[in-house]
Amino acid sequence: MTNFRTFILGLTAAFGLPWLCLIVLPAMQYQQLIPVAYDKDKDGVEGIYPPAPINAQGQLVYVREGCNQCHTQMIRPQQLGLDGWYKGWGQDQEGRPTAPVRPNVLRDYLSEKYALLGVQRVGPDLANYGWRAPDEASLYQHLYSPRSVHDWSTMPAYTQLFKVQKIQGPVSTDALKLPKKFAVAAGYEVVPTLEAKQLVQYLQSLKKDYPIPGQSAAVAAAPAKK
Amino acid sequence: MQTTPSTSDTDLQADNLRRAAIDKSVKVPVLFLFTNGAFWLMLSTILGVLAAIKLVEPEFLGNCQYISYGRLQPAHINALVYGWGVQAALGVMLWIMARRSGQELKSGKSLLLVAAIFWNITITFGILAVVMGKSTSIEWLEMPKFVWPILLGCFLCYAWPIVRMFGRAFRPEGFMVSTWYILGACFWFPWIFITANVALHCLPGLGALGAGIDAWYIHGVIMLFFVPVGVGAAYYFIPKITGQPIASAQLASAGFWTLAILGGWTGMQKYMGGPLPAWMTSIGAATGVLLLIPVGLVGLNHHLTTLGKHSAAASSPTLRFVFFGALFYPVSGVVLALNSAFWTGASLQFTQSWYAFQMVSMYGFFSMCVFGAIYYIVPRLSGCEWLSVRLIRNHFWFSVYGVGTIVIMSLVAGWQQGADLNDPEHWDQTFMNHVVNSRAYVVSRAVAWALISFSNLMFLIHLLLMVLGLGRRSSAPTLLHHDHDETALPNGAHA
Repeated sequence: MTNFRTFILGLTAAFGLPWLCLIVLPAMQYQQLIPVAYDKDKDGVEGIYPPAPINAQGQLVYVREGCNQCHTQMIRPQQLGLDGWYKGWGQDQEGRPTAPVRPNVLRDYLSEKYALLGVQRVGPDLANYGWRAPDEASLYQHLYSPRSVHDWSTMPAYTQLFKVQKIQGPVSTDALKLPKKFAVAAGYEVVPTLEAKQLVQYLQSLKKDYPIPGQSAAVAAAPAKK
Repeated sequence: MQTTPSTSDTDLQADNLRRAAIDKSVKVPVLFLFTNGAFWLMLSTILGVLAAIKLVEPEFLGNCQYISYGRLQPAHINALVYGWGVQAALGVMLWIMARRSGQELKSGKSLLLVAAIFWNITITFGILAVVMGKSTSIEWLEMPKFVWPILLGCFLCYAWPIVRMFGRAFRPEGFMVSTWYILGACFWFPWIFITANVALHCLPGLGALGAGIDAWYIHGVIMLFFVPVGVGAAYYFIPKITGQPIASAQLASAGFWTLAILGGWTGMQKYMGGPLPAWMTSIGAATGVLLLIPVGLVGLNHHLTTLGKHSAAASSPTLRFVFFGALFYPVSGVVLALNSAFWTGASLQFTQSWYAFQMVSMYGFFSMCVFGAIYYIVPRLSGCEWLSVRLIRNHFWFSVYGVGTIVIMSLVAGWQQGADLNDPEHWDQTFMNHVVNSRAYVVSRAVAWALISFSNLMFLIHLLLMVLGLGRRSSAPTLLHHDHDETALPNGAHA
């Protein structure tokens, strides 16, 4: 192994194989991945899958603030975790869903440049947050002052996405209604900026548990059911 | 010894002169890299304290957008990886390769300096951009995309002369143990870095596959860049200071090639059970566990080499740091295996135990080995000896306790978080239990980073004094226990 060339060849071969198999070939294959159409007879629904893209403009705000440091966007299968059974983590908002939310597949993130699967799960998973998102006013309040919603919350307050302005004339229609303890000075109001609106639209567009074509809706939703 | 005393004396003198000439030729770039790296390390540890506090108490220092956790944490990691890690690694690689191959750095010294300056400027802008809200949210690649071609160019400016030195050197059998690793690091880092950046910044959107590639990138940089540099330094300094030859050439060779073969496969298990094709995450998990083999082989080899020489670690600062770093290599392997194996990984996924892995390999293993190297290299470049035994000792102990706390606490916190997440009691609850239960661990992380910041402050001051040439003027090295040095250390150890 004193031969320089043999050594470099060895290094290349040892690393080249995983590089080719894990990165290059899958990346080339991924480019072929396209949305597929639902079959009305088999799937019971019409249209194409995935049906609705996420709000890309709002995702930029999500990316900029590093939300993925604490929030994942990935539902794991049952053998790995209880994700699918968590209340409200899928379309079914009932307390005791009959079937767990399905785990995510590659096509769920088709429209995204980079899927924000997340670094840690300090806060709840957001993969299907769109279904459980409260009304916009509550979402704004949660972003502006998380501790006014949950006093134990460790989420940062994204006050920079809001504007505190003097009330001139009638109070703005989209002004936040904050609890007394968190309210701004009298005569002032808090209104969301365009970025806050985009972020909220993005959060509302997070719905990654549509049925997969080829697996009937019931099967897709309940793989474990006998 | 066959030679008469007089010829051996002149031989020794010629040897010393040759060494001094080599040291002199790499002095400027190596010292520049070390000093700037130490500044970044200082910054990174302070950001680590702040980020941990912000994770517990988000209103600490006010609701300023520039210091929210989502921006601080990436800045902390990027400063640690690119500011300190890669820079210090390059300095150590250049010096060891020059010494090991017996080659002076002939030309291009100013190019190296310019590359180092550009590296620092680019990282400064990159990290500022993250804090100002230009983060890409791609873990370990959060800096905006303009930085990567510049960083790559700067890295190649260093990789090229290192490879050239190796190519020109006279290489007898058994020559290469530490240089294999350094050459491997030179070779793999650009490859991994280009692949990840092209895939994530230049290709049109890879969706969830991009997340997998990012996880692969992080593990690749750790296993195929930081680990080789750390192991290479350990293989260089342990025999040099203990005066023992490396115990087994076969173990060394097997340890290197198994790492080379397995290292590129691991990483994607971070998203096991996720949208990636199952075979990709499975193979990542399998290799994550199999990497225990190279880790064990290297650990065994170091253990056999140092048998009976443990007392030397009490007196030589270099050996003490390298020893400890080498000890943490198996620990990092075990943490990786815990994260990867299905039955533990299912609980540890998306928890602080991933942070534990990054920190045990980046700080516990890599940085400790590099500290050891710096304690050896800098006196030879600056022409003076370390000023204070106490500063070195404090640096060592605060670092050990700090990083030990971070790793243990993050692992336990990971276990707690995983148990909370998979507790059927919590299925219809808010996240309150998760948040409240992990609070104490994050507080301990903040305290540990504060200890490490303190230790690095002393290191930085000490290093600055040395670089300014204000060290001790003496021919005797600074040792931690003077009563031991005659018996424990052979004469040539500090040449």
